[in-house]
Amino acid sequence: MFQKLLIAASIYLMIIIGLALYSRKGERTSKNYLMAGSSLGGLLGMFTFAASLFSTFTLMGMPDFFRVHGVGAWIFLAFSDALMVFGVIWFGYYLRKSVKESQHEYLGMAGFMEQRFQSKWVGYLMFLGVFIFLVPYVAIQIRGISIFLNQVFPDALPLWVWAVGLVVVMLVYSELGGLKAIIYSDILQGILLLIVVWIIGVFCLKSLGGIEAMFDQVEAKNDKLLSVPGPNGLFTLQFFIGSAMGIMLLPFSQPHISTRIMIMKDNKSLYRMALGLGFFAILVILPTAFIGMYGAINYADLSPAEFLGKTLINDQSEIIAVLVTIGLIAAAISTSDSLLFALGGELRSLLKGEDKQMVNIARIAIVFFGVVCLIFALLSNDQLVLLARTSFAGTSILAPLIFTGILVKNPALHKWLAIPTLIGLLLFVCSSLGVLPKVYFGIRAEIMIPIVLGLIAFMTVFILPND
Amino acid sequence: MKNNTWKICCALVIIIAILTLTPLVLPEGKHKPELMGMPYTLWVGIAISVVLWLITYVAVLVHPGKND
Repeated sequence: MFQKLLIAASIYLMIIIGLALYSRKGERTSKNYLMAGSSLGGLLGMFTFAASLFSTFTLMGMPDFFRVHGVGAWIFLAFSDALMVFGVIWFGYYLRKSVKESQHEYLGMAGFMEQRFQSKWVGYLMFLGVFIFLVPYVAIQIRGISIFLNQVFPDALPLWVWAVGLVVVMLVYSELGGLKAIIYSDILQGILLLIVVWIIGVFCLKSLGGIEAMFDQVEAKNDKLLSVPGPNGLFTLQFFIGSAMGIMLLPFSQPHISTRIMIMKDNKSLYRMALGLGFFAILVILPTAFIGMYGAINYADLSPAEFLGKTLINDQSEIIAVLVTIGLIAAAISTSDSLLFALGGELRSLLKGEDKQMVNIARIAIVFFGVVCLIFALLSNDQLVLLARTSFAGTSILAPLIFTGILVKNPALHKWLAIPTLIGLLLFVCSSLGVLPKVYFGIRAEIMIPIVLGLIAFMTVFILPND
Repeated sequence: MKNNTWKICCALVIIIAILTLTPLVLPEGKHKPELMGMPYTLWVGIAISVVLWLITYVAVLVHPGKND
């Protein structure tokens, strides 16, 4: 099977490198290279948004989440995604309006906030916030797929070689073609993801005798999987609130997603994209529930990598197993390169100088970010979903500052909000590392910190005198 | 009229979001009543996702900034 995988992977690589070369035409300006010309239609927008959002975390993490914690996983992701889609329409409109009215050339949220608050420190803070939380997020994509490949082909290559290979591929084609190349590969990945997840989902469902029989078997095995808070007590009210807050705010707090709001041709395209995304989310998450239940019945006691290796590869025919592997690699690559590229965009948005030279600095920085993520990938742990969730929650701390920058007429008056935001970021990092408590007055830090920051921003803008 | 419908959509999404996080959708340790064999929290969760999508669809049609 390893040989067939190599053939399929070579074909996939040739296609994405070809797309990258095709995307190279035109002058290499910030707008072309980092923002793909900012004229995306609804369908293309949907695929690139979905591919950036639904990653290894969805294809590998969610089945495992259903397997271990039960049906509450649906509320964790699908419900939160539905709210996020509505948020794209509600606040995405204001983001685009605010950029248009301030006559700012949007290249990244950090630069935009710097301009809105008239403070380079706000820009630096935004960059710092996304950097410390996106690096682990990219790292878990790389690590997740590398562990999986190492599990499936234990004698082929060591884990670190898989990880290095993935990073090299994503750097090569994103450096070659810029955001356009990433968008084209996102289409390929989005379609592949949908096909693969449904093939495996239907297989799991069929082999368990249909929906009713599947849940009967789950009930016999462990009925706690069928309700909240799940067998390990993870799905508490606070867990759901924290997750929903983090995921809802992704389009504004995570730069690779904000970029996708900004590169849409017009508001109509943005709304079409959001609607398509909502539908895509339901379609992608549903089969991961079937795969997870299949694992709960057949592979309840295995490690995540063993369960995924058996379900996605060993139990499938060779052709499907190769397709799944390519789908997983594509998913990991498309999300990771979008994130790395967005970090480069954020840095570019803070740089002042001749455009071509600044684009080149951003390109070098993207390589540097890739290396940092690779090192982190080799050192991080295997809890894909929980690490991803920490990243979502961490960036959501920036949201009150971002919304002040977008919604308030003269945010420069409130630039000092950067100070409580910085304190919030430090508190969250310390509580995530276990240096500070995770719960304050009975409320988890990831909920408490954004709410307190939101209240401070609200009071500053609407209650305190603004002169 | 369109502006009011947009506001109603926003209000509905907020109400549904709050209700979803109550024991009405998330009863602890209970998985009945089932629908087509699916446990309660799962099928209600799927129904909520579909309803939220439909509200979003209407919201797109009446969004005040649609033609900006």
